[in-house]
Amino acid sequence: MATAFVDSAQSAVERAIQRNLKGLGYLASPAPVLGSSAKDVIVNRGPMRLYHYHPLTEEVYRVPVLLVMATTNRGYIFDMVPGQSLVEFLLLRGYDVFMLDWEAPRAEDRGLALKDYVEDFVGSAITEVQRSTGEQDVSLVGYCMGGVLSMLWAGLNHAAGPKNLAVFTTPVDFQQMTLFKSWSDPRYFDVDKLVDTLGMAPADMLLTAFDMLRPAGRASANFALLDNLWNEDFVKGHRMFDRWSNDMLPLAGEYFRETTKQLVWDNRLKEGTMKIGGRPVELDRISAPFLHVTAEHDHIVTTAASAPLIELVGSDDKEQVVLKGGHVSLIAGPNAVKRMWPKLDNWLGAKSV
Amino acid sequence: MSDKPDLDPFGFARTWMGQWEKLVNEHGTEWLAKPEAAQAMQAMSSAAIQAKAVSNEASGKLLAAANLPSRADVEALGMRIAGVEASLARIEAMLRTQMPDAAAPARPAVRRTRKPPE
Repeated sequence: MATAFVDSAQSAVERAIQRNLKGLGYLASPAPVLGSSAKDVIVNRGPMRLYHYHPLTEEVYRVPVLLVMATTNRGYIFDMVPGQSLVEFLLLRGYDVFMLDWEAPRAEDRGLALKDYVEDFVGSAITEVQRSTGEQDVSLVGYCMGGVLSMLWAGLNHAAGPKNLAVFTTPVDFQQMTLFKSWSDPRYFDVDKLVDTLGMAPADMLLTAFDMLRPAGRASANFALLDNLWNEDFVKGHRMFDRWSNDMLPLAGEYFRETTKQLVWDNRLKEGTMKIGGRPVELDRISAPFLHVTAEHDHIVTTAASAPLIELVGSDDKEQVVLKGGHVSLIAGPNAVKRMWPKLDNWLGAKSV
Repeated sequence: MSDKPDLDPFGFARTWMGQWEKLVNEHGTEWLAKPEAAQAMQAMSSAAIQAKAVSNEASGKLLAAANLPSRADVEALGMRIAGVEASLARIEAMLRTQMPDAAAPARPAVRRTRKPPE
């Protein structure tokens, strides 16, 4: 008993010392460099950025992969640091990887609408990937709202279609996103006034809304950091994810207005009444192999909001997988390395020759 | 049961924090889903938007009085620069098509013949 007491006391003292030392180190050290895989920026236009990552193998799959990032956040979530980068993982597995990423829209971009994001940005990214690789076939892989944009493009262009379509945590039934639905209730939320006055949906407003989905989340994360200051891996992970989650982008006003009205208020994607530029989005006519990966503990895009997607897609070869994790840990971090990345590779490899 | 006494000063705080987090998240989101919460939030955000609109108008008048370009002037300038950027992008794209070797960085070509492992 005496030995156990001494061991326990020793361990507690060691951790306390480590907490203090590493705490000082944390405050003094620079932020980690994220998104550092070698790449070329092949399109830089308005809020659109198209990257082509340098292949890491001499032989790649014939079909290139285009990752489509959510419009509210930065794409470096796909490329955190070596060993925790989906981009690096795919490159090492022999894929030719491109990413459609976003910058903050400028004042003159306030008029960009859903049509611009889908037909112009996603559409021209695909054309550019085709031109750059000489391949007509492209696999489209979207995350969250990037998944919605990918679905909209595929639903408009089902004849040309992507070769393969994979989306992660992609909402389709916006009526099931209960908090967002309640906060954007048209009786109280005047989206026109917001957009007409500010021109944009400000990033801090969006960040507050995401934070309020888990009101205690931020305080709890800060406590966990303090508690784990002795643990280098934990601190490193916390810094990366904290930086990313706070690095939100404003949304172009018209795009935000249309998203609110058509997707949230009218639930058009789920109802099958969505139109872009006057053309119907026909998810039931998509025939490309389709994979939807959702997260068991996703508090942003709940299972109820994402699950109906599989039924709406017309593909014969389609699969929906629920993996352990949350909205972000599904795609990045140690959980993703073990679960989602190998799943994506297994599904996509055979379809990329 | 472990015979090792827990002397970690964070032990109690950890348990308390876990319970607090659960409670706040559960009850907080329950309250935030209510129409009254949405109404209160939107009233606040509407006031903030209104304040922003008034401030925009006032700063516009001030800038005009000081003979400085207004936000609208700067936005118009931005749109013209965006137009120039778009033209440049089109020219770059044309050049890349006509001189692909000059535009592309010198990297070894990859073979697109990879097969998935058996």
